[in-house]
Amino acid sequence: MISGYLITILITIIIYAMLAHSLNIITGHAGQISLGHAAFLGIGAYTSAMLYTEAGFSFWLSVPLSGLVAGAIGALLAIPCLRVRDDFLAITTMGIGFVAEAVFLYTPFFGGAMGIGGINLPNWFGREMTKSEYFLLILLVFGFLLFLDHRMGRSWIGLAWASIREDEEAAGAMGVDVVRFKVLAFILGSAIAGLAGGFYAHFLTFIMPQNFGFGQSIVILCMVVFGGIGTRWGPVLGAVILGILPEIFRPVMEYRTFLYGLLLLAMMRFQPGGILGAESILPKVLRRYIFRPASQE
Amino acid sequence: MPLLEVSGLSKEFDGLRALDGVDFSADEAEILGVIGPNGAGKTTLFNIISGIFSPSNGKISFQGKTIHRLKTHQISRLGIGRTFQLVRPFQNLDVETNILVASGHPYYPSFRKSFAPFRKPEILGEVQKLIDRTGLRLYARQIAKNLPLGIKKRLEIARALALKPRLLLLDEPSGGLRFEESDQLMELIRQIQGQGIGVLLIEHNMQVIMDLCKRIVVLDHGSKIAEGSPEEIRSNPQVIQAYLGKES
Amino acid sequence: MLWQQLANGIAMGSVYALVSLGLTMVYGILRILHVAHAGVYTLGAYIGLFSFRLVGDFWVSLFIGMAGSAVAGYLIERFLYSPLLHLPRIAPLIASIGLFIALEEAFRIVAGPHTLTYNARIGIGDLSIGSFRLTETQILILFVTFAALIFLWAFLTKTRTGLAMRACAQDAETASSFGVNVKAIIAVNFLFGSAMAGAAGVLIGVYDNQVWPTMGAIPAYKALAIVVLGGLGNIPGTVLAAIGVGLAETFFIGILAIPFPRDAVAFIAMILVLMFKPYGLLGKA
Repeated sequence: MISGYLITILITIIIYAMLAHSLNIITGHAGQISLGHAAFLGIGAYTSAMLYTEAGFSFWLSVPLSGLVAGAIGALLAIPCLRVRDDFLAITTMGIGFVAEAVFLYTPFFGGAMGIGGINLPNWFGREMTKSEYFLLILLVFGFLLFLDHRMGRSWIGLAWASIREDEEAAGAMGVDVVRFKVLAFILGSAIAGLAGGFYAHFLTFIMPQNFGFGQSIVILCMVVFGGIGTRWGPVLGAVILGILPEIFRPVMEYRTFLYGLLLLAMMRFQPGGILGAESILPKVLRRYIFRPASQE
Repeated sequence: MPLLEVSGLSKEFDGLRALDGVDFSADEAEILGVIGPNGAGKTTLFNIISGIFSPSNGKISFQGKTIHRLKTHQISRLGIGRTFQLVRPFQNLDVETNILVASGHPYYPSFRKSFAPFRKPEILGEVQKLIDRTGLRLYARQIAKNLPLGIKKRLEIARALALKPRLLLLDEPSGGLRFEESDQLMELIRQIQGQGIGVLLIEHNMQVIMDLCKRIVVLDHGSKIAEGSPEEIRSNPQVIQAYLGKES
Repeated sequence: MLWQQLANGIAMGSVYALVSLGLTMVYGILRILHVAHAGVYTLGAYIGLFSFRLVGDFWVSLFIGMAGSAVAGYLIERFLYSPLLHLPRIAPLIASIGLFIALEEAFRIVAGPHTLTYNARIGIGDLSIGSFRLTETQILILFVTFAALIFLWAFLTKTRTGLAMRACAQDAETASSFGVNVKAIIAVNFLFGSAMAGAAGVLIGVYDNQVWPTMGAIPAYKALAIVVLGGLGNIPGTVLAAIGVGLAETFFIGILAIPFPRDAVAFIAMILVLMFKPYGLLGKA
């Protein structure tokens, strides 16, 4: 059987992959920068936690609901976000993240600084799920989400998003209802993040406000940018690599965060498109050394 | 009933009067020239008609409907297409995809419909026809940002045509083009007129204006100072003064 | 009581203004959100502290702290932002965030995670009138901020370099075609803004008698909110917003005793204002 340690890492990575994917919808597909995405992770986590511990809802109900609640709040927050552009948007989303964390921290109803505990893995077939089974469940859900993303990429929605990303004003002049599609991206992105929050809560078994602050938002954003913003697999790859990194850096635990910061710096300086992005080194290296064109044999 | 009716249109930006009480109308299958010295308000006029700005005063109706309070995408769906003075195709998308964006206008309003794939044969067929009509066959799969200027201009027109417009706003389409390209462009505009589409044409190239337009509107400092046939405009002292004044 | 709160609020707002000035000036000229600016603030505090330990004189430590920050700001512009200007805006933003994270960690690694004390005597004495009291640090804060603003105003409106800087903020390309040395202007911009941040770091370090690695985190977020509130790149707007936030925090928490986190006030104010004025209080598109 797979070791408990490995499974824990895998579950962490897949939850982050789902998070990075959800942020990619907002930032990559619709081109709206968000520096407060962890707020939706938190909203989902707290919703699921509260429904489970206070209202006795089962996992199978609380987690989907956490996605819905996060999506609804995402729709609400889309209103201020749509009125502002670029850097103003970046800071507004950061502010939203800040306010959300403050709400979790200071509202006694949400357990305050101590957070909420006692959130268990789901039950099925009369017993508690094993971690491996939990991982497969999330994998299944995420796989479905990726399939959905693939379908949307080939649909008019995906096309509308691409046009908005390129040039909002021109998109409007070509018949695209910019506001409607931006809101759609926000709702989808926040709903999926909320769903991830539900999975997160039941996996960690206890949640604290600090898990959902600006630092977490940045971690998610970095995964997206590192892997390649706007691509389908970039955020997933980013989540895998940046998720594994802390484990690789374990011997240098002291310097982990420091190296992380340096990594961001270096990425932007030398490879801003991300690993799977347009002008990245990786495809070039692959083409040169592995897939040599026949003429050079 | 005229295709487009503009009455008493005014626009102020922070105390600056960009447009002041402009009245005119345009008909189907007519190419109406809009000329004037730099800063006369021509592009602002287009921006208001296409819904990017709302007017401070006045009214615009299109096919009898009042449109000056509508949003950009609503106006384009009603059948008004436009190009931009400084070309702005969707830079990282290819020519075909650029045009496809505008082809989606019947699908965007409904969530169910917009979830459908866009690479369907009927749709692609229509786009291919547009590509051929505007002479973009060679460039169909090329990314917009790498295209030469003349091709980008034609792409913008093709894109606007995908909206199946009754009115087309062309903002200095021949700007930066060489003579042969200009001629080809004029031919294209005549074809569009031949299909019954009304055209509002902003141009600095007088050759193009005089050749294509039977009627011209002249703006200066936000007001309409003349309207008439090319001969009338050419000999209008106020028009001459406006241009000469700018030259000095 | 009211006067005390007012004074406290304005003093706090002045510190925010010192930090936010650099941020808004950098945005005005480079259109970059210089998140790492808060790292420069903390650096000023640490450099000030260590030079105080060496030399024992407050004024010297203040000066060295400001100088150190100024140099750091210059280096950041030269080696980090300059090469990234041609990329989409998210790249310099993330690079700045990465640098900020690295800086905070560097402080922790080099100087230790614990809070250090910055026990400096300024030497001008407190001001006490009845129950109203202005500590010497507060007096100095008000003085430094006031001096900085006067200097900045005179510089920008009366000197040739200042005029060049305003031109660059409007349109750098046109400015350079008129012979303005844009690179030098950018450098001056960073030097001045970073020196102010360094001064703020030293002053807060002395005021709270605390210097610790993550002390820049809260000012980082607040300064961003303040700068947006006042209108990105708008210097008078930023100062107004900074004082406003300082007063709002003091009044809401101190007087009205609303049980809401002090640090969220800046952001709530920002979000509310952006609803009605999407480009800030005094900002323009």
